[in-house]
Amino acid sequence: MVNSMDDVVTTRVDPVPGVEDIDLDAMVAPTGDEADDSHPVIIDVEGLNVYYGDFHAVKDVDLPVRQNEITALIGPSGCGKSTVLRCFNRMNDLVESARVEGKVEYHGVDLYSKKVDPVEVRRHVGMVFQKPNPFPKSIYDNIAFGPKIAGYKDNMDDLVEETLHRAALWEEVKDKLDESAYALSGGQQQRLCIARAIATSPDVLLMDEPASALDPIATLRIEELMYELKKDYSIVIVTHNMQQAARVSDRTAFFSIELGDSGQRTGRLVEFDHTTTIFTNPNEQETEDYITGRFG
Amino acid sequence: MTTLHPEHAHEQEGEIEIRHHFDDELDEIRRGLVQMGSLVVENTRRAGEVAVDNRLDLVDAVRAGDQPVNALYRTLEQRTFEILALQQPVASDLRFLVAATRILYEMERSGDLAVNIANRVAAHDGFPQLPEMRSLLERLVTESAKVFTSAVVAIANLDPEIGINAEASDDIVDEITERFFGTIHAHSAELGLDSAVELSHVGRFLERIADHGVNISQNVTYVMTGTFPDEDSDPPSG
Repeated sequence: MVNSMDDVVTTRVDPVPGVEDIDLDAMVAPTGDEADDSHPVIIDVEGLNVYYGDFHAVKDVDLPVRQNEITALIGPSGCGKSTVLRCFNRMNDLVESARVEGKVEYHGVDLYSKKVDPVEVRRHVGMVFQKPNPFPKSIYDNIAFGPKIAGYKDNMDDLVEETLHRAALWEEVKDKLDESAYALSGGQQQRLCIARAIATSPDVLLMDEPASALDPIATLRIEELMYELKKDYSIVIVTHNMQQAARVSDRTAFFSIELGDSGQRTGRLVEFDHTTTIFTNPNEQETEDYITGRFG
Repeated sequence: MTTLHPEHAHEQEGEIEIRHHFDDELDEIRRGLVQMGSLVVENTRRAGEVAVDNRLDLVDAVRAGDQPVNALYRTLEQRTFEILALQQPVASDLRFLVAATRILYEMERSGDLAVNIANRVAAHDGFPQLPEMRSLLERLVTESAKVFTSAVVAIANLDPEIGINAEASDDIVDEITERFFGTIHAHSAELGLDSAVELSHVGRFLERIADHGVNISQNVTYVMTGTFPDEDSDPPSG
């Protein structure tokens, strides 16, 4: 209440904030894009070439994946984005004719060194696939399976609960942990697979079209979960859904197909940048044409 | 067809251009903006005649001339909003649609200013005619309409260069406006206070129309390049 002129004067001398008092940089950062060049590179890829027999699948890819970020790989079918993703945990080893050249370093360690055990790699770099693929076991055992094999010694019940919490599934399954994982909906099964992937405490999660078999609401739940998970993990996602890449990722890599002289189709990285840049003002015309849906 | 995505922009064997329907929708907005801008230019010139020659007989025509501008504003804004909601535009498409909403606002305001000019003249049954002022006012109408016309051309051709050079043509308008104000001041005794104030308003309205034209051209530059010309200066505003 104003009782005297003095009060009026005091109310008036409150400083008006100047432009210099407003953190404009913080203000213009969109909520989805937290790409920060101070985030350390966790998987460093340089000059990556992948061959399946004589077929040159991917050529000359440089792609630093940064910690606690979501990196999206987008591009038309056959552009090599899944091939690149599979190099990050040596899944291409399972294809007999596959040959990987170039640098793929995880925390500075050459992932393709002869001394490195691919099974150990996959414990640190987990993977979630397009179709939910839970084990034909109980919900509980789906989570406990990996840690048991890895020799987990602490309280398994606690680990299962914590893991299911992290995968935003606990509330939905806490009363039916002994039931078959197949009794869950598709979206729940996929979150269970994410839970299974993080149960062995990896620090990178690879996701290959993790929501393409799910309905829109289940898809948004997965995206929301990814947003939570990136606080603790680094995520690389391959997606056909450009809006999904725009919604969830911090950085986007756009791959395209290069046609060789005799018609061979080789994937190549066209542009890699902050997701906001890719979707508002990409540098390459080819990127623009693809994301605006003009050519494909 | 002027388009954000010219067919020659990207040629690679085996690839085909898609989204023709979406292109058509965007082009419909662009053509609507050109039409709306042309109507504003026309009405600005008409309002100018009202002010320069005390053409009170044209006042109703100016008022009526703003109706289609307002109608286009509502329709185009609605269409833009629907496309934003339904098509998830990105990159230059997104910039175009966001710029379109800004341009619509600039045009609608300019249309209102033309009506304001006619209304001021009508409220005073015309102004005293002084030859020196008349010629300055006539030039002001011409130059303001020219800046706004350039803006319409920028949209029609999706030409980023006009916005980059827009400040220079606006400087001419500002200079004439200042001289016009100076002349009003010098003749304030003959004009009387009321007319002096009202004529100042008319001058200011014409100058504002040119400002809106500059903003529109600069928005076209933004659509085509991703940045506003002269990023360090004040952002375009109403």
